[in-house]
Amino acid sequence: MIAQRLGTTALRRVAGNPSAFFTNNFAKLALISPLSNNTQTRPVTTQKLTPADGDSILAKQRLSRPVSPHLDIYDKSQTYFGGSIWNRITGSIFSGGLYVFGSAYLIAPLVGWHLESASIAAAVGALPFALKGGLKFLLAWPFAFHCLNGTRHLVYDLGVGFQRRTIVQGGWYVWGASIVGGVYLAFFL
Amino acid sequence: MASIARSALLRQTAALPKFSAATQAIARQSAIAANSVRATAAFHTTPQRALLPPLPQHVDGSVNDPAPVPATSPSHGSYHWTFDRLVAASLIPLTITPFAAGSLNPAMDAFLCATILIHSHTGFQQIIIDYLPTRRVPRTRKLFTWGLNAATAVVGLALYEFETTDVGITEAIKRVWSA
Amino acid sequence: MASLRSTSARILGASRPAFRIAAPVRGFANLADAAQESQTASGSESKLKTFQIYRWNPDTPAEKPRMQKYTLDLNKTGPMVLDALIRIKNELDPTLTFRRSCREGICGSCAMNINGTNTLACLCRIPAEDSAELKIYPLPHTYVVKDLVPDLTQFYKQYKSIKPYLQRDTPSPDGKEYRQSKVDRKKLDGLYECILCACCSTSCPSYWWNSEEYLGPAILLQSYRWLVDSRDERKAERMDALNNSMSLYRCHTILNCTRTCPKGLNPGLAIAQIKKEMAF
Repeated sequence: MIAQRLGTTALRRVAGNPSAFFTNNFAKLALISPLSNNTQTRPVTTQKLTPADGDSILAKQRLSRPVSPHLDIYDKSQTYFGGSIWNRITGSIFSGGLYVFGSAYLIAPLVGWHLESASIAAAVGALPFALKGGLKFLLAWPFAFHCLNGTRHLVYDLGVGFQRRTIVQGGWYVWGASIVGGVYLAFFL
Repeated sequence: MASIARSALLRQTAALPKFSAATQAIARQSAIAANSVRATAAFHTTPQRALLPPLPQHVDGSVNDPAPVPATSPSHGSYHWTFDRLVAASLIPLTITPFAAGSLNPAMDAFLCATILIHSHTGFQQIIIDYLPTRRVPRTRKLFTWGLNAATAVVGLALYEFETTDVGITEAIKRVWSA
Repeated sequence: MASLRSTSARILGASRPAFRIAAPVRGFANLADAAQESQTASGSESKLKTFQIYRWNPDTPAEKPRMQKYTLDLNKTGPMVLDALIRIKNELDPTLTFRRSCREGICGSCAMNINGTNTLACLCRIPAEDSAELKIYPLPHTYVVKDLVPDLTQFYKQYKSIKPYLQRDTPSPDGKEYRQSKVDRKKLDGLYECILCACCSTSCPSYWWNSEEYLGPAILLQSYRWLVDSRDERKAERMDALNNSMSLYRCHTILNCTRTCPKGLNPGLAIAQIKKEMAF
């Protein structure tokens, strides 16, 4: 048993009948020829690759990689969607509106529109109360939200209020306060 | 192509050791799921949602090279940020005063208008820098940046006109609001 | 051979049965056993939970990524999501691929998006109370190498770019260590513990849209760690490297990063401190 494992029997046999092929390729044969005949040999073909080849294979693999999902799957209750993007959206609504109004005001005389404050006030005054209130809320809520959330961001810029609980609670307060503020501004002012 | 992949997947799932009928059921289920791969659309980014769909991955240099450090430019960096915050901070008292005092004198009103305009301009600038990277869309970015500059100039002129020929922003809003 | 056993084992060995039965059959968390057990109602009932996991195979790149469902008996699985993933890989699908190493929340390998939030799988408990499906995705807006493995090459390149090592010319006064007061050492608390798992950076929408140029909260936290280290002498250069429109100032205080850090660190606060220091 042990002799078989050590290959001494095989060696003794070889010593008696030397062969040139065997002597020349002893190292290789020692590696590839099994000491027992129970195992399978699977000859493997190898291919030489330089590091540059490896890099180019990697670069090619990289091109077909997909990008993991982000907006679709990220928890919408987190700050990015619960507050931060609304700051940008409300700000854009107001500034966009201002820019549109400004440009329209400048070209109004040329096109024949009436955009003076008096005519706008008259047009708004003619609307029914509910519609007026609704329109005013549509303007008042973003205004309140942007002001409150903007102040929250300025407080962050001072380095204050970065604990997780404060961030989450602050987000809820701003939403609540902005809705209350919007209603107040729209219907009671 | 997909059929070859599908059969490979089927072979893969079938190769799992069969403990019981239930695991076979799971294997069949995943095989069915694999079969329906062609039917399922790419779910991770729907075309209408993606602003600019990400490019295929490309790494500049080797993985051992550090990412390039951009040139220092305080006017786009820290000075811009400080200016932005100062404008925003000054807007808080400026916006509260009309509510508290009822109306503003024309000079304060003009100051409020100018500050709102600058705040809008820097806000839009940030949006453009965020969503239109120079590397991807250099001409669109340039177009939008100059477009924004032009629009701000136009609106500045409009506000000046409004202040001088009309009653001013705070007064106008007050009138429209209480109409 | 008996002498190899410790004294206590030899003494107590007599009380153990002479013929030791083979190790009990490992409880496989498959549906048949679970169904059988719940039918016979002997011992514990099974608590099944379905996992929906993102799959993509680079060997078949033409196939779009898909979600695959796996159902496990939670009574036979460990409490953390990583336990579930390992169980799935062992018993249900050996092709499921994910990174993992320490299983205790210190190496940062198993960072992934679980039920919408980025966290470490080894620290995230499986919500056993509800029977809703648990959704597991790789870190958001990263290039996917396979299944749940993201490519973090850009992340590491950006880390290297901030020179995260001590840069100092003056030798220490007594020729021994570079000394630091306790107050100065306290400034590093909350900064040095970062394990670079990339949960925060990949939760930041600004990093999603601008990962080539914006450094992201993890790297900026480490920048601050070196900025505020009293032993470092390159503060001006470090601040100059950040002083442009993209590297630092794409942060709009969205604060997804602070909310998602699995180690409880505060990248948002560190970034705010950097901005304050650079303000004037």
